Amino acid sequence: MADLLKVDALTAGYGPSRVLDGISLAMGEGDSLALLGRNGVGKSTLLMTLMGLTHRHGGAIRFQGRDISGWPAHRRARTGLGWVPQERLMFPSLTVEEHLTAVSRPGEWDLATVYRFFPRLKERRNNMGNQLSGGEQQMLAIGRALMVNPRLLLLDEPMEGLAPIIVQELKSIVGELIRSAGLAVIVVEQHARLALQLTQQAIVLDRGRIVHASTSAALLDDPDKLHRLVAVS
Amino acid sequence: MITNLTGILFDGVAYGSLLFLIGVGLSITMGLMNFINLAHGAFAMAGGYIAVLALSRAGLPFAATLALAFFGTALLGGVAERLLFRRLYRAPHLDQMLFTVGFIFSSMAAATYFFGAGQQLVTMPEALQGQVRVFGVDLGIYRLFLILIVAIITILLHLMITKTRFGAQIRAAVDNQDASAGLGINVGLVFSLCFALGSGLAGLGGALGVEVLGLDPTFPMKYMVYFLLVVVVGGSGTIKGPLYASIILGICDVAGKYYVPEAGSFIIYVLMIVLLLAFPAGLGGRRA
Repeated sequence: MADLLKVDALTAGYGPSRVLDGISLAMGEGDSLALLGRNGVGKSTLLMTLMGLTHRHGGAIRFQGRDISGWPAHRRARTGLGWVPQERLMFPSLTVEEHLTAVSRPGEWDLATVYRFFPRLKERRNNMGNQLSGGEQQMLAIGRALMVNPRLLLLDEPMEGLAPIIVQELKSIVGELIRSAGLAVIVVEQHARLALQLTQQAIVLDRGRIVHASTSAALLDDPDKLHRLVAVS
Repeated sequence: MITNLTGILFDGVAYGSLLFLIGVGLSITMGLMNFINLAHGAFAMAGGYIAVLALSRAGLPFAATLALAFFGTALLGGVAERLLFRRLYRAPHLDQMLFTVGFIFSSMAAATYFFGAGQQLVTMPEALQGQVRVFGVDLGIYRLFLILIVAIITILLHLMITKTRFGAQIRAAVDNQDASAGLGINVGLVFSLCFALGSGLAGLGGALGVEVLGLDPTFPMKYMVYFLLVVVVGGSGTIKGPLYASIILGICDVAGKYYVPEAGSFIIYVLMIVLLLAFPAGLGGRRA
């Protein structure tokens, strides 16, 4: 383990403010990690810091053995970090197909495999990014990140604001990605139980620090503890 | 009267084509980085002086002169962006304005030092001189040539932006820089290339425009307002909006100076106010 991603004493935020305070974690190839916690504890900030889109104050990020702490975001994406941002961040002036082709890099995922995985996107391929339903946008955000052919997929609240029936569909999609060989996944989720059912490992953040780390199964088997850690009091 | 009107429309469209060619790069770079660049005209002026040197002093063919004006100015723009302009992308707008006004003054001083303060003259190739009679109206061959060349460039530019992967990356970067960067698009490089391309087109416009717009060291200051009007009225980040804006601006400016010369350039400001009231997001209608 610990040869894909290694985060060491990471402190980061926006400008001078510190949202993350000494985060350390490690992941191996193909691992899956649920990143849990209440609103505003730094979950999205951690993903954005991995992508290089925040201000890092200290600590180090190693990916596939290389120190990427000072790298710009586009270089991190190209080296194998696939970012599925919160609120999806569609491009209104690009068609569905352009979302995929504009960012594609050579590898196992290409237009054909993404369309096979998300047949709905193929039907909508000539629509613009802002003409999609919430579920379709989420599929496109995931498909777009897969086109970069990542080793580690960062899913930021993929179920947020979606109807229950779409959540079930996306849950099986995310599950399939997690089980697929060679792709490690970090899932940030408000629905803690759903994220725990999908993943092997779990960490819980509170005010920018890791306050719990265990297997997902162990946390799922201890509802009292889970409630104490993530429920809104 | 009718003949006059046709002639004025024709001259206005030719003038507007030039304004579009020079201003379109500014529209893309302002849309991409939200960067207030008042110095765009300096690159058009550079293209003009390159044309003077190449055509009148070195005696190069006209086509080679235009190519040199485009690539030379694109190179200048690319270098200036990498060394100077990119340092101010995250600066307040007032700093950007002060810097780019300073850049204009520097470029004016440099032009005066090397070429003197006077108007530059170029002699166009014989084939482009004179007039041609179309439906009883005399049209300048050079202005016809201008309109044709700008039409071709507009079509190529449109195809590049709407059909190519690079064009899709430009649009993605305009829509959302963080999302683009987080998906592997080198936004800084995309912007440098756009800046260089925009400068190159401005340079080409400057070279083509020596005869129509004139060329002396005050050029970037004299036409600054026109280029900004093209972007403000057209809307930034598109090419359709600036195209409409340039043509309208060109026609109204020529017509205004012909029919009501006492109002002078005032006509275009009234036009700007009216158009902005009617289309607050610009004629392109994409963003405020």
